[in-house]
Amino acid sequence: MSPMPDNLARRGEPNGAAVLKGVQRITMSIFRSGEFKIAALTSALLIASLGPRIASATLGEPEMTVQSDVAQLRASIKSSQDRAGYRVHEIQLPGGTLLREFVAPDGNVFAVAWNGPTKPNLRQALGKYFDTYVSAPKAKFADRRHVNVQQGDLVVQARGHMRAFSGRAYLASAIPAGVNLGDLH
Amino acid sequence: MVMLRAVRMGLSVALCLSAISCGGGGGGRTSTTPPPPPPAVNTTSVIVDQGPKDASGNVVGSVNTLFTSVTVCVPGSSASCQTIDHIQVDSGSYGLRLLAPVLTLTLPVETLSNGNSLLECTGFLDGYSWGPVALADLTIAGETAKSLPVQVIGDSRFTTVPSTCSGTGGTQEDTVAKFGANGILGIGPFQLDCGNCDTVATNGLYYACATATNCVETLVPTAMQVPNPVTLFAADNNGIIIDLPTVAPTGAVTVSGQLIFGIDTQSNNQSGAQTVLTLDGMAELLMTFNGQTLAQSFIDSGSNGIYFADSNIATCTTTGLTTFYCPANTLSLGLSIQGANNGVMVNNLVFTVGNTETMVTTAPTDTYNVLPELAGTLPAGNAGSFDYGLAFFYGKRVAVAVEGSKTSVGTGPYIAF
Repeated sequence: MSPMPDNLARRGEPNGAAVLKGVQRITMSIFRSGEFKIAALTSALLIASLGPRIASATLGEPEMTVQSDVAQLRASIKSSQDRAGYRVHEIQLPGGTLLREFVAPDGNVFAVAWNGPTKPNLRQALGKYFDTYVSAPKAKFADRRHVNVQQGDLVVQARGHMRAFSGRAYLASAIPAGVNLGDLH
Repeated sequence: MVMLRAVRMGLSVALCLSAISCGGGGGGRTSTTPPPPPPAVNTTSVIVDQGPKDASGNVVGSVNTLFTSVTVCVPGSSASCQTIDHIQVDSGSYGLRLLAPVLTLTLPVETLSNGNSLLECTGFLDGYSWGPVALADLTIAGETAKSLPVQVIGDSRFTTVPSTCSGTGGTQEDTVAKFGANGILGIGPFQLDCGNCDTVATNGLYYACATATNCVETLVPTAMQVPNPVTLFAADNNGIIIDLPTVAPTGAVTVSGQLIFGIDTQSNNQSGAQTVLTLDGMAELLMTFNGQTLAQSFIDSGSNGIYFADSNIATCTTTGLTTFYCPANTLSLGLSIQGANNGVMVNNLVFTVGNTETMVTTAPTDTYNVLPELAGTLPAGNAGSFDYGLAFFYGKRVAVAVEGSKTSVGTGPYIAF
């Protein structure tokens, strides 16, 4: 990953306060859950050291690697929500598409999903899994409207049409217990 | 309201029939005004067949894919022209795109005000197509769009794909074999292939190229963007009708029908008593299936199957077909469709789902290019979708009205049948 240019780093700052609140929230909820205490402590320290530049991450990578996505995608964080068993960062891409990144209690991104008028840069959002996606063989009856890729642990499913793209990618083995696949969108 | 409209239309049709030509009659008055030119021939044939041949001469093979032919000329020329067959007719995209390997003409590439060439990265769900935006005079049926911006896909002058284009993922579809067609005619319900590329540069769609290897994302004036070609016709420019005959439930080798330009503009494209389903800002509508409310649903000539989520239907086990349905017996299922904004509701439309493995492995369906019962899975979820592909159009006369344009039964964007 190339270093983030200064102008992109500055662009992320207005979201800093909201993101910090999100960090506090997730840290507290992790403590409340009584699980991952050591991991949470470590994460909290790392997250705090990154300060307002925290945003979101890339599939299969820690949440702290994050803001590279927001910066690289010239995007902004719209919201960060805690849900039962995971956290969602919602990233607003400049063209109107929403990219959601799902973070497991272990601090790693286990899924990304998108919905909007253009496709997101999946090389950024899928990270090291992008090449696996691109090199997957085409299914029989492939048309221009659907993606259904399952390569090892990686699942990519998308559907839609011009000016309406929707899809998701997840790591099957990384889905936290109790998370409904139907909620990953 | 619908009744009133129907009555009004009946009257106008009757008046038309009583005159020698619509708008040309004079009730006995003499006039020196010459009669208006006859309306353009607005109908061309379409076919579902095996698809074009690729560069090696092999048929690409396609299922439920609708094709037509177009004639393109270098702008202003009546000599430098080419008719190209197997152009996919796609109600789910916008713009004419031609595969450079089959194009024998050199079309002029659009140039931005800074002198850079305009290129486009067209995103499809399964991949992207890269190439310059060039101008062509398009003729299809008797309709012409002069100096129409079209995309030339796979142009050998521009082979370096920007990383933000390839980064959208999937396959680079720049050959006939990979694209599955010699081109695509996007005649969906919007005017342009991008909703905001005149104000947002970073969509990963349009690029300004100072050289073939130096391209950056760019803003593009709307007049330079790739439009739905119908909107540039002199008349019959408010939408299209796809009229396909009924096919046997198990399918056919081919099926032929008509693509008609304009809605309520000529005697052969009257709306009559069609059901009008308004479309939302993503050209989608609401379908209800099996208790699921699917707000991101669409009817689309560019989808080759019926795609939806139903965990009660068995999927196929053969490698490569596991995302398609394989019920033991053909299923008849009900679907309701509602236009956007709580619009008109069509209840209990019946569709059938066949066994995909049987279709592709058993004679005679294994040689069919028309498979109305081909159905596949979509991931379930609250932001669900039902994608009713070309099978919806079999046995129907389906109108697609362009956004902002009026017909006797409504204002686009809508789909009516």
